[in-house]
Amino acid sequence: MIVFDQVSKVYPTGNTVLENVSFHINPGEFVILTGPSGAGKTTVGRLLIRDLLPTSGSIKVGEWDLAKMKPGHVSELRRHVGVVFQDYKIIPDKTVFENIALALEIIGYPGKQIEDRVKHLLELVGIPDKKDLFPVQLSGGELQRAAIARAIVSEPKLLFADEPTGNLDDQTAADIYQLLLAIHNLGTTVIMCTHNRSFLDPGHRHINLEKGKITLDTSSSSQPARAAPLREGHKSKEEKHKKTKE
Amino acid sequence: MINTALKNIRRSPYQALAAVSMTGLTVFIVSLFALVSLASHLVLRSFETKPQVIAYLKDDHTVDSVNGLIKEVTDTGLVKNAIYVSKQEALEIYKRSVGNDPLLLGTVTDLGVITADVLPASLEVTAKSPDDFPTIVSILERSSIISSTPKGKKEIDFPQDILTELTAWTRAIRTAGLLLIAILCFNSIITIMIVVSMKIASRRYEIGTMKLMGAKGWFIIRPYLVESVLYGAVGGVFGWLASYIAILYSTPFLAPRLIGIIALPVGFTLMLALLAALVLLFSLLGLFSGLLAAVRFIKR
Repeated sequence: MIVFDQVSKVYPTGNTVLENVSFHINPGEFVILTGPSGAGKTTVGRLLIRDLLPTSGSIKVGEWDLAKMKPGHVSELRRHVGVVFQDYKIIPDKTVFENIALALEIIGYPGKQIEDRVKHLLELVGIPDKKDLFPVQLSGGELQRAAIARAIVSEPKLLFADEPTGNLDDQTAADIYQLLLAIHNLGTTVIMCTHNRSFLDPGHRHINLEKGKITLDTSSSSQPARAAPLREGHKSKEEKHKKTKE
Repeated sequence: MINTALKNIRRSPYQALAAVSMTGLTVFIVSLFALVSLASHLVLRSFETKPQVIAYLKDDHTVDSVNGLIKEVTDTGLVKNAIYVSKQEALEIYKRSVGNDPLLLGTVTDLGVITADVLPASLEVTAKSPDDFPTIVSILERSSIISSTPKGKKEIDFPQDILTELTAWTRAIRTAGLLLIAILCFNSIITIMIVVSMKIASRRYEIGTMKLMGAKGWFIIRPYLVESVLYGAVGGVFGWLASYIAILYSTPFLAPRLIGIIALPVGFTLMLALLAALVLLFSLLGLFSGLLAAVRFIKR
């Protein structure tokens, strides 16, 4: 599903954030990406949605080769990769419901289906009673849940969660982690960046980055990842959703 | 999409007011200009289509001499038609024009009732173009059956001066009007563009987030384009309304002066057609302004 092949990223300031990083992530994996601040975790996420281009090396997400991708197709890629941003990126003057619905409006869902789907997601992330509140009225944990709901509402095959438990108390962080596990169990490939090593589970793959290099990868498979098509997967989920509605 | 646009308008009512009032003012001027242009065209056409050259005949004229003169004038090829108006017909025309006014009909004067005898017969010649007046007039002046003033000047009326003056005024009004409209349209475009640009600039964070979520440029700019179109359309309606009120207000003054040339008040159907045209035109102007603003930011 995801192939990073000798990827390096040097910012215009000359700061090298990633250096010859290579890894494969197969569909359905739960990967915990750890490392200190500045190790390059967020850069991996930004490269995944082509918010940045690598200085060298190649990145493949599904059937897309991001370096060769036409700019017009970037929005298509981003629709299939759910991202929980470190700073949430929840739009302040939209309600929780509107923020989550926005992801569906972008992909052209019909109005009635949007309402049903958002309600379902709010139940899933545990904030059904907060739908009409504005971000400023939410706690950190609630904001994080809203951000997760928005990232997965369009049923992406891949979810990248950048420090989803940062700045949260232990109990809330554990709840968010459990939520990500639940999303993973629904069949979504999850990449979770964290400082919190208490979430490391022998059952999950662990990649550690330090100073832009991989210092640990507990990958159980040395086989290259299959180029599972993101778009087809997404379509089939949409169809499933429609069938459920019918 | 429309809800988002309306929400954007509600959140910054003064910016919206600036855009709508600028557009409304432009539409008001455009609307008045369109009606003045139409009126001046009708006035010109009225002068051009009415009998333009009237030559008064001596009382001793004969049918043959009149027919000869008509043939001579018609043979020039410059004449649409030439008709003979007898004394009796002249009286009928006079009566129609003065109505039942007893003073003008002479029924209350010492001079007695006006009869056909006091009015001269005439030859009314409609030229194809006002430019042909001199040729026609020179033929008529040579004729012996045309009456003369005591000073020996032939009694021939033609509105050459009026027409020349009117044409000059119409051209001047059109030029000045078009220039004014061009300036106001430019101001409207700039105003809408600035208002929409400010709104987009204030929502950079939202736009950036939407891009990261996979929104295409068109999806992002749609609400701003709808907003721009609404500014144009609402400005169009207000401007039209103001011009309609102005026309209705000035109708009592204009109607008696334009009688027989333009029917006042202006018909509601015409005004509705004008409204439709203005709303369409200024919606497009709004769309254009919005596009200018939105595309600039989306490219960043």
